[in-house]
Amino acid sequence: MTTERRPISGGSVGEADLRSARDTTWTGARAKRSETPLAQAIHRLRKSTTALIGAGIVVALVLVAIFADALAPQSPTTSDQMQTFQRPSRDHVLGTDQLGRDMLSRIIHGSRISLAVGVSSVLLALFVGVPFGMIAGFYGGRTDTVIMRIMDLILAFPIYLLAIILMVMFTPTAGLIGTMKVTGAIAIVRIPIYARLVRGSVLSIKEKEFIEACRALGVRDWSILFRHVLPNCLAPIIVTTTLGIATSIIVEATLSFLGLGTQPPTPSWGWDLKANIAFIQANAWLSLFPGLAIFVTVLGFNLFGDGLRDALDPRLK
Amino acid sequence: MRTYILRRLIQIVPTVLGITFIVFLMMRSVPGDPVVSLLGDAYTEEDAIKARAEYGLTKPIVVQYFIWLGKLLRGDWGASILSGRPVLQDVLIRLPVTLELIVLSMGVALVIAIPAAIIGALRQNTWADYTATSIAMVGVSIPEFFIGVLLLLVFSIGLGGFLPSSGWIYLPGTCPTMVCGSSIWGNVTHVMMPAFALGVGRAALLTRLLRASMLEVIRTEYVTTARAKGLAERPVVFKHALKTALLPTVTVMGLQVGFLIGGAIVVETLFAMPGLGTFGIDAIISRDYQQVQGFALITALAFVVINLLVDLTYTFLDPRIRYG
Repeated sequence: MTTERRPISGGSVGEADLRSARDTTWTGARAKRSETPLAQAIHRLRKSTTALIGAGIVVALVLVAIFADALAPQSPTTSDQMQTFQRPSRDHVLGTDQLGRDMLSRIIHGSRISLAVGVSSVLLALFVGVPFGMIAGFYGGRTDTVIMRIMDLILAFPIYLLAIILMVMFTPTAGLIGTMKVTGAIAIVRIPIYARLVRGSVLSIKEKEFIEACRALGVRDWSILFRHVLPNCLAPIIVTTTLGIATSIIVEATLSFLGLGTQPPTPSWGWDLKANIAFIQANAWLSLFPGLAIFVTVLGFNLFGDGLRDALDPRLK
Repeated sequence: MRTYILRRLIQIVPTVLGITFIVFLMMRSVPGDPVVSLLGDAYTEEDAIKARAEYGLTKPIVVQYFIWLGKLLRGDWGASILSGRPVLQDVLIRLPVTLELIVLSMGVALVIAIPAAIIGALRQNTWADYTATSIAMVGVSIPEFFIGVLLLLVFSIGLGGFLPSSGWIYLPGTCPTMVCGSSIWGNVTHVMMPAFALGVGRAALLTRLLRASMLEVIRTEYVTTARAKGLAERPVVFKHALKTALLPTVTVMGLQVGFLIGGAIVVETLFAMPGLGTFGIDAIISRDYQQVQGFALITALAFVVINLLVDLTYTFLDPRIRYG
């Protein structure tokens, strides 16, 4: 969390003035070093321990997902009837499940689904939601009303309910197609979040003088939108995206847990957790590891997202 | 105030209609229909056509929706296609279970979040604050079902069946059918783990939010004034600061109700509870159209009514807010 630089005590007016004067010199000193806002943000980000831990977890997970084939000791889908319910040992570091599949390999491969769905659903929502939000905010009037009412309607749904019905509509399947269906369902649920966020930013930015100047110079609408308005609402978009990946990973795991995510044999943490609950009495570790994997992944994105928020826009807190 | 409530109640209508209509459209576009599972092994194309006609499934979707709506206005929620049971009856039987779960989990959330947020805000950047914020960070990162599994491992399996892992026992006097177990202690032991599993995530979220708004409020001048006039710290925090800081928290709590209804689906599935969540997911998966409509309706109603209540609590928390 950032410490606020607002005067803490009620204090006299003079004291408050002094503080703001000091603040001005501080920004002045910064400006002299001619740091771009981006460089300042990176500087702040690197000072935050939690953000670095988060970034570390995220990078490690991405590497695990990319090199899953090389890292996993065995195939995540090959079953061995002679080796069912093995406790963690040298051969199977995290033990084996009811089909004798190596848990460690399943967890390593499961990272692919979690990350792929988490990241791509958020990006998909971003690419649809941001333009809608920009158009709604920039043009206002009837366009705004129509777009935002549709978004409000989607938002009025409890997200799990909508995601569940969408998945039943798409009929869950295995493999790449199955993953794409889950991605689509989660993306639809998240579109309004971006539309609302961007619309709000655009509403305030479009009143600024530099936009008026652009208009006066005869710059085209789309050019104003993408070259002048969009860059000014990037900070909240980036923060929402990072934290959104965390939420999407939870939603994906929850859908899988309910049996509506990517179907087996594709390894998925949520599904593994659910499948192993039946054997929780005797083989507690089986449910523990997939759950821990989900937790650590979500924690990584949350920590990194929090750090990003503090670094990019301290006012957002 | 009365006109405001009336206006809000009227605004509820289009939202509920919108949600139920979309659910209607979506369910009808799901591949497969309930007739297939209704007829089961005895399925013949002829019987299926007859059954579809009988349930009005051959009419255009919009017409079907208005038939459903027309019946609803007369208080008829329809009957399940698969079991033939009236939907309203099933919803009413299951509602108390989910209501108890959601109310208690919100209680769990508040009991954890308010003290944690106050300690975090008043002792900002001390070990107490760091502990509170770190635990909150962990809390927002754990999915409900994993907390549920951890609780199961500790209290049901670890402590030799101290708490039951599944099922439900009703509070005395609330038993909706002729036969069901009811006892206070039994109810408490059955609801504890689910309520905690559902509440912890909300607690973490509220802690983060309330801490942030407390930090803002305790720096305002009226709090300084309250302290300057010699008021003890306790009334300053609870009477002056907390009430204001609760405003944004209450808004989020209202919005979280939608999330809690979804969370109830997950937690009820995990703990095999006979609530609305399991009712809804079973209905959706078996494509029992009438039951799904009933579930969507009760969910939408709960969501809008609770958010109306949230808006009304504003007047209590901040007397400057008046609804004309």
